[in-house]
Order: sequence, then structure tokens, then C-alpha cells
Amino acid sequence: MPTPLSEALATLRRRHGDAVIRSGDSLGGIEAWPTGLPILDHRLAPGGLPVGRVSLLAAAPGASGRLTLLQALTAIASRERVAVYLDLVGSLDPGFLADLGADLTSLLVIQPPSGRWGEGFSMARSLVVAGAPWLAVALPAAGALVPVRPGTASPGVQPSAPGSAAPEASPIASPGAGGSPREPRRSRPRPDPGWEHRLSTLVESVSNRRAVCLVSAASPLPPALGYAASLTLECAADGWEEAHGDVLGLRTRLTVVKSKVSTPGETAALLLRYPRPFAAAEAVGRPAVVDLTRTAEVDISLEVAG
Amino acid sequence: MIESRFLCARFPHLALVVAWRRHPELRAEPVVLGGAPELRLPVLAASAAARSAGVRPGQPLREAQQRCPGAAFVAIDEAATARLREELLTLLYRLAPTVEVGDEAAWCDLSGRHAAHPDGTGWAVAIARSINQLLDDDDIAVGVAASRLVAEIAARQAGPRRIHRVAAGEEAAFLAPLPLGVLPMDPAVSARLAALGLDCVGAVANLSAADLQRQFGPAGMDLWRRARGGDGVGEWQSEHGLGLSGPPRRLGERLVLEGGTGDLETLRFAVHRSALELGDRLRRRGCRAAAVTLVCELEDAEPAGLRITPLQPPGGGAELWPVALELLAGMRLTAPVTAVRLEVEGLEPGAGRQVDLWRGGDAAGEEIGGAAARLRARFGRTAVRRAELAVDPGDLPERRFRWAEPVAAEVDGEGGGFRAAGGAVSVPPAFAGPRRPAPGDGGERAASGAPMAAMPALRR
Repeated sequence: MPTPLSEALATLRRRHGDAVIRSGDSLGGIEAWPTGLPILDHRLAPGGLPVGRVSLLAAAPGASGRLTLLQALTAIASRERVAVYLDLVGSLDPGFLADLGADLTSLLVIQPPSGRWGEGFSMARSLVVAGAPWLAVALPAAGALVPVRPGTASPGVQPSAPGSAAPEASPIASPGAGGSPREPRRSRPRPDPGWEHRLSTLVESVSNRRAVCLVSAASPLPPALGYAASLTLECAADGWEEAHGDVLGLRTRLTVVKSKVSTPGETAALLLRYPRPFAAAEAVGRPAVVDLTRTAEVDISLEVAG
Repeated sequence: MIESRFLCARFPHLALVVAWRRHPELRAEPVVLGGAPELRLPVLAASAAARSAGVRPGQPLREAQQRCPGAAFVAIDEAATARLREELLTLLYRLAPTVEVGDEAAWCDLSGRHAAHPDGTGWAVAIARSINQLLDDDDIAVGVAASRLVAEIAARQAGPRRIHRVAAGEEAAFLAPLPLGVLPMDPAVSARLAALGLDCVGAVANLSAADLQRQFGPAGMDLWRRARGGDGVGEWQSEHGLGLSGPPRRLGERLVLEGGTGDLETLRFAVHRSALELGDRLRRRGCRAAAVTLVCELEDAEPAGLRITPLQPPGGGAELWPVALELLAGMRLTAPVTAVRLEVEGLEPGAGRQVDLWRGGDAAGEEIGGAAARLRARFGRTAVRRAELAVDPGDLPERRFRWAEPVAAEVDGEGGGFRAAGGAVSVPPAFAGPRRPAPGDGGERAASGAPMAAMPALRR
């Protein structure tokens, strides 16, 4: 004898299709994109970065390694699929990406002319809807200091908003940050009214198109961004790795502060070794990301461009 | 409306004619152009006698010598060949307004009428005789048809000293029994059609455009047009020698408002109705629009208009209405509106393309390329880019790369292009931008008014 519940379910299935109502055990496990870095694939996330969800690399403003890690993962992704890099920081150096082993022919770089977050999210969403399977988003701190446009009265840096935080230093030791010298200076990246709505539509598209989305953002995280992320990894700098008075890389600690796909609380230490194509041969061939949690340095199979 | 007619005249390679002028005794002999046979160079052209012995352009000269030991091997006189091409071009310009001359063929636009040759056949005969007299050769075959491609195929089918005319509207019937090899197409497409048992042009012409587009993407649409006697999209580029006009690319709806109004609700209603009707026409044609323009005709003032490149091309009323509403919201009206005009342009096939599972050539790359092109059209050329490493970077790190358009470096091979998820695939040239429309995509009801280029773009 049909119960009111079964009748309601049958009505919903008839009107909207079988897929709208499923039992919880039929949803299956979390699909993941393996990064090739065991520290991420086996310890911090289940099998890699979750597919169809937003992952977040968060850190306090300053040198933390979040952008370097974002770009290292983008480089890995570009070697096997089309990767899209939404550069709202305005400091992307494709030469550095190439040193990390990126296939630049498979990498599309979005730089919104207005620098607005919402516009950037809309542009990224268009490419995700079109089928781009991998999206990296580099967000500046909401109150970051940005260089003044050439020709203005006050040189140096100016706060973009009253009460803004300290200047955010780029974690990448890259003299070429910001593009070629002839590049026009872009507008100041800033969150604009309504960017949360654009972010939610982007998250929806990432989910529908089963794309991988990795966002790098500075703390404090905007609530909408923290809410949208299924996996949040917090980066904290542990100091520079030096040899013979020369900086080789940055030691950083990753902590899973939020995870809808695994157990939060895991911690791992990394050495982000900067690729140095013009340096001595001893630096070439070493992995760019090194797991420091273990006793000895472990090659975690990340190729380094020679 | 003037009916389009094109003439194609095929003649021996101009360099061969130059060689015959210099050595008349070689006219009856097999002649191979390219140089001495001991040179490791390819054959550039061969006389009819040499071709009958198996010599083909592109063969190594040494192989040509083995196939035709008695042939005379002649080097090309490039200066004399260029002079002869100029002479031929000058001659044809006296007889036709638009002319293109190649090494072995010439095309003339015979649309309209010639004062001295009111009859189309007489005009074609006059051109053929002029070419015959200049080149002093009888092996000239001429084809006349409504499209450039059919005229060329007709010329190939015609024998020497013959003019093959294909009547207007008979192009598809003329092509139907011919083998598929007469149509220019990618070898991979040709092989796949052959595997499906489609061995003549008529069999392909009977397929629907949507099916071919799903299977082969833009190349499928090109093939569909060609099989029905049209010209491929690639041959309608404005830089082409014949300067032919492309197929219509715009659709429009104009709604007159009685007495003029400034009431926003009335304008919303008018734009909504226009969007639904225009969207319905788009849906019936199976098209999507790359750009949308809204023009408000004002009382005693110049029309106000805005143009936008939607991030998602609308293909129906429900998709077109939000775009039109965004345009209306951005409009600054200074006088009562007497009529609203909603126009769409850049029409492209609306159906998605079937993803190839077991072979190269994925549709995903085309979609991403199209989306990138739309973003660049709306936000500027620097909005979406790709970086390339500089060949000679020098010492400065910032000179190690340069920005490039988001186009695959190699679009014709298997090694280049964007790779979609699941494996490396090559991407056709359509990656560079939105696909061009199919013939008959619209335009006959397009409203007249201010040109699209004059409309300011709406950026949000």
C-alpha cells in the first residue's frame, strides 16, 4: 500500500526525473584529481584535490608559499589538461611557471581589465562552462596594498582601503612579476559588490562540469569564500631554506583547517624549493616541493624544468 | 538581386608555358618542371605527356626520371613566369571586374552583365579565347557555375577547349554523382566518411547539417555547404582575391511604439516581446548569437544603441531576454522612444559537437577557444591570453616570455593545440575564435539602422 511519502517521491521523480532524489548511499565517493604529490594525495586530501568542488589555500598576508604551491599545482595540471589561471593578484610570471614545468601552450591566463573579483569569476565561469577542467584562482588580500599607477603623485604603495593590512609580499622571488615591462599597469584588484553571487555561480559551474578549482587567498578569508570551499589548507611559513647565504626555498606548514571530504586537522611540513634555471647545476633536478615531515628529504615526483 | 556566377579557367602551369615559349620544340615532348633530376627537389609541374607516364607534382625529380626517362627536365624561370602572370591578370581585368590568377587556374566573377557581352555564355567564351591567345595553348578548360568551387570542379570535368556551364540551382545535382575526392577536405574526415560507406558527394549532401556538425565540427559544416554546391567558409574571407561577400550573419526584430514613450515598463514589454520572437527564430534555425545589439529609436534625436558580447551565446528567447534586459538597463535615453530594435549577429551553429572518444580532434578545445574569443571580444584583448617563452630571452627574467593570443601554436598537427581532459588531441583552426555561420543563417529580416561597429559596447 503506497504511503504518502512514497507517493510524494513518485510525484517528484515523475516531474523532475529519477536523478533528483537518490538515497545517500548511492551518491558514491568523492572523485579526486591526483596531484602527484603524495603529501597532498595521501595525507591532506583523499586521493588528491576534490573534483567538482572548490579547494582553498589560505594564509596570512606575507610570504607563506600559497601562491608558489598554487602555481606548482597549476604547472602539474597544465601538463595533462587545459588549465586556466585567474590572476587577480596581477603578479603572475609565466617564466616562473615554465620553470616549475608548466606547459604554457595549455595554460590560459585571465587578467580582468577592471581587476574586479566578480568580473574575474564571471570570466572564469565562462571557460569552466565551456569545458576547461582545471581552474586556479589567485586572490589578493581584500585590503592589500597595490602599486600606484605610473604618473600619479605619490610613488610607492598606497593602501587600497582604510584600515588595510600590511603589504602583501609576493612569495615568489620573481623580478619579472607583473608581466613584461611594456605591460600597462592593471587596475587595482578588489572585491566589488556582488562578487559573492558571481562566486556562487562559479562554484555551481565547477560542480556541474566536474572541474577542479583551487583558490589561493589571504586571511582573513571572506565568509563567502570560506563557505564555498570544501577543502581549506592553511599555509604558514616556517622560515627560509638557505645554503651558502643564498635562499633556496621556503619552508611552510600545511594544515587542513576545513574539509568536507576528509578529516580535518592533518598537518604537513613542506619545502617549496624555488626553481633556478640560471643557477648552478646542483639546484637543477631537485624536486620543487619537498616533504619535510619525514626524516629525510623525499623526492615526491615533481619534475623540475631544467 | 544579381545572381552570382563564377568562371574558372584551367590551363597548363604558367612556368610550363614560359618553357614552351623559350623552347617551342618541347611542345610535343614530355616536360618536367623543377630542375635537373640529380637535384633532390620535387616536381613542380609536368606536361600532359609526362603526366600520362606517371609523373605527378610533388614527386622527387629522380623518381620522375625513372617513370619518364625521355622527359626534358627544365628549371623554372621565376621572373618570366611572374611577368606572364601579370600579363594574364591585366588581360582578365579588361574582361571581368574581379579576378584571381593562380599557376594553373584563373577565376573571374561573372556576376551581373558585361556591356560588350550581354550573354553570359558569350562572356565566358570571350575570356576563354583571350586566355587561349595569350598562352598560345589549346588545353584550356573552363567551368562556369554559381560558386567558385563548383566552377573549378566543372572546369576539371570539362575537356580541353570546352566550357562546362552548370545552371543556377543545379549545382547539387551536378556534384551528386561525383566521387567525394572532388571536394577539398581533411584526409581524416574523408577516411571516416569512406568507412561509413559514403562514397559520393550526393550521399553526403543528403545528410543533415546538424549531423555533420556534430561529427566533424566546423569542418562538417564546410563539407555540408560544399556538397550542396556552396563555397566553404574558409574561401569567403575578406582578404580572398575575389572579395566575395559572406553569407548573412544577422537577424533583427523591430517593434514600433505608437506615439513614443519613456515608460520603462512599456519598454521592458517591447524588448521582452522582441527577445522572445528573435529567440524563437534563433531556435528554429538552430543558431546561437555571438553578439546582441539593442537600439532605441528616439523622437527627434539620434538612435541610442548598445552592443554586448554575451558570455554564454543565447540560442533562444529565454537566454536572449536577460541579455536584452541588461542592455536596456544600461541605456541612457534622452527622448521618448518610438521603436526598439533588437539584433543578433555572429550566428553560429547552436548544436553541441559530439565528443570524439577514440580519435584525436576533441570538441572541448573548440568550445574553450570560442569562450576565450568571446571574453576577448567583450573585455579586451588582454583579458585572456597565453604565454609563450621567448626564443632569445636575453638576461632579463621579464623578457623570458611574451603574451600571445589563446590560440594553439600548431593547429594542423597532432602535437600542438590545447589538450582536453583525457588525452592529447589536436585542435582545428576554429579554436581561434567563434565559428562562422551557415548560409541562410539569417539577415533577410535584419533591421536597417546604425552600423554595429558604431554601437558602444556594454561592459559590466
